[in-house]
Amino acid sequence: MDLEQEVQKIFFEAFPTLKESQFDWNKKQKDYENWDSFAQLNLITLAESTFDINLTLDESISITSAKELLDCIKSHL
Amino acid sequence: MNVITDFLQNSVNKYPDKIALVSSNQKYTYKELFESVKSFSSYIAKFPKNSVVSLLFENSADFIISYLATLHASCIAHILPIIISDENLLKQIESAEPKMIITTKQFIKRIEKIEKKNIEKFDVNEIPIDYNSNEKRNPLPENISYLLYTSGTTTVPKGVPVTHQNCVFTTKNITKILNYNETDVNILPLPLYHSFGLGCFHTSLFTGATLVLHKNATNISELSCSIKNNSASTLALVPASLTKILHESKDEMLNSLSRLRLLITNTTSLQTNIVKEYRKILKNGNFATYYGLTEASRSTFMIFDKDGKENSVGLPSPGVELKLVDSKNNSGDKGEIWIRGRNVIKKYWKNPEADKNIVDGWLKTGDLGYRDSDGYLYLTGRVDNVINISGEKVIPEEIERMVKSLSGIEETIAVGIDHEIYGKVVKLFVKKTSDSKIKKSEIVTYCIKNLERYKVPAIVEFVDEFPRTEYGKIKRFMLQ
Repeated sequence: MDLEQEVQKIFFEAFPTLKESQFDWNKKQKDYENWDSFAQLNLITLAESTFDINLTLDESISITSAKELLDCIKSHL
Repeated sequence: MNVITDFLQNSVNKYPDKIALVSSNQKYTYKELFESVKSFSSYIAKFPKNSVVSLLFENSADFIISYLATLHASCIAHILPIIISDENLLKQIESAEPKMIITTKQFIKRIEKIEKKNIEKFDVNEIPIDYNSNEKRNPLPENISYLLYTSGTTTVPKGVPVTHQNCVFTTKNITKILNYNETDVNILPLPLYHSFGLGCFHTSLFTGATLVLHKNATNISELSCSIKNNSASTLALVPASLTKILHESKDEMLNSLSRLRLLITNTTSLQTNIVKEYRKILKNGNFATYYGLTEASRSTFMIFDKDGKENSVGLPSPGVELKLVDSKNNSGDKGEIWIRGRNVIKKYWKNPEADKNIVDGWLKTGDLGYRDSDGYLYLTGRVDNVINISGEKVIPEEIERMVKSLSGIEETIAVGIDHEIYGKVVKLFVKKTSDSKIKKSEIVTYCIKNLERYKVPAIVEFVDEFPRTEYGKIKRFMLQ
């Protein structure tokens, strides 16, 4: 599985009701119906545990789309 | 029977030549046990009544004789765990203020290091048993029989003085509910420095049964042989041993277990699959558990004889009242468990601060639980463990139970750690089984699927082992 597929998988795991057709790399946090602060935390935890990385608090709270999460992960690998 | 020493006296009268105790290669009839106890107690009786005698022993006939001799001399048996650290050993001795410490060759050097005046220290084999005290003593029901210190997973250990009448009440309840009787052969591999093991021993003595004492439960094959060779009828094991047996045992042990009329375990919510497995294994026997604290022994009992109640710790024991109190002090079906009854201690040992937890006879246990519509009690966690995440109250034990149901997980502990945004978040420590290849991300994903979002751990850390107390409990506070 490549990096992009891994990040997509994280999104589908963090948002179990998200359908494949609804996924968009540039879709923003406000457009997800259930991307609240705890979902943000779950997303970051999943990313950190999957790639064995540690995101800073600033990085964690600045991520508002799948694309931004992907870029952030890339910067740690 | 009003005091613990009556248990022995009564069984001697009824069954003098019956085997009371099997330990290592030693066997004692009730008469022989009584003679040893009397002889030994003549030395202890030189101390004033209600003096404390500290005992540091592994499970053995010597411990049982020393313990009963202490009670026979109307003294208080302060029972020390053998795995106690030097620091806690000294703390307990300073608090208990014994007149005498009795131990074995194995531990005498640890005892000799204690620099306290006016304490006699003895290797059990060197006590002058021909010492003769003419005073005939009988303890009173309200006298303290034994003193155990609680494990102190979150606080400094507290001394719990249990009276003879507390113990007699509890022993009668155990006997009645679990049908212990004189025909029983009870296998006991639990430490006698713990309320569970000690209660099993009292019950065997009370009923005039035979007790087969093991040092521990680590050798499953040995236990299996012991059940067969002694034609045992009951076995007591902690939940960790039950899990180990299911994982590691061969048909031989399972076959041995199938002969039992009773398998008893203690104070925890068991996983449904464990209960179901043991119900199958036991065939015609009962699988049971109880809920209690050293301060309020055997407050509920659960015999797993029907489906759907596998996670319950049962119904209140006869004569024991239970109420569930919420944070606003209202009583209902959910909240902190409070217990009142003759099994509950009146106060702690020289500890006015801890005594505040006993109000009008009600012991505030610090355990959280709920009752179902049939009155069955379920444990959910500890009051002091609750994590406040942005105003949401999280019981860490719920997360732990959920993650433990995953294959490849041996033990987990969830704690709250500081977080700049949420105040606290959950950090989960995980000990994997030796063959487990589970990944952290799989655990997080499982939590997302099965828990509310705020309960999902923000950090998962694998550990090789957890810090534990002398009683084997995990020191949760050290992980926070």
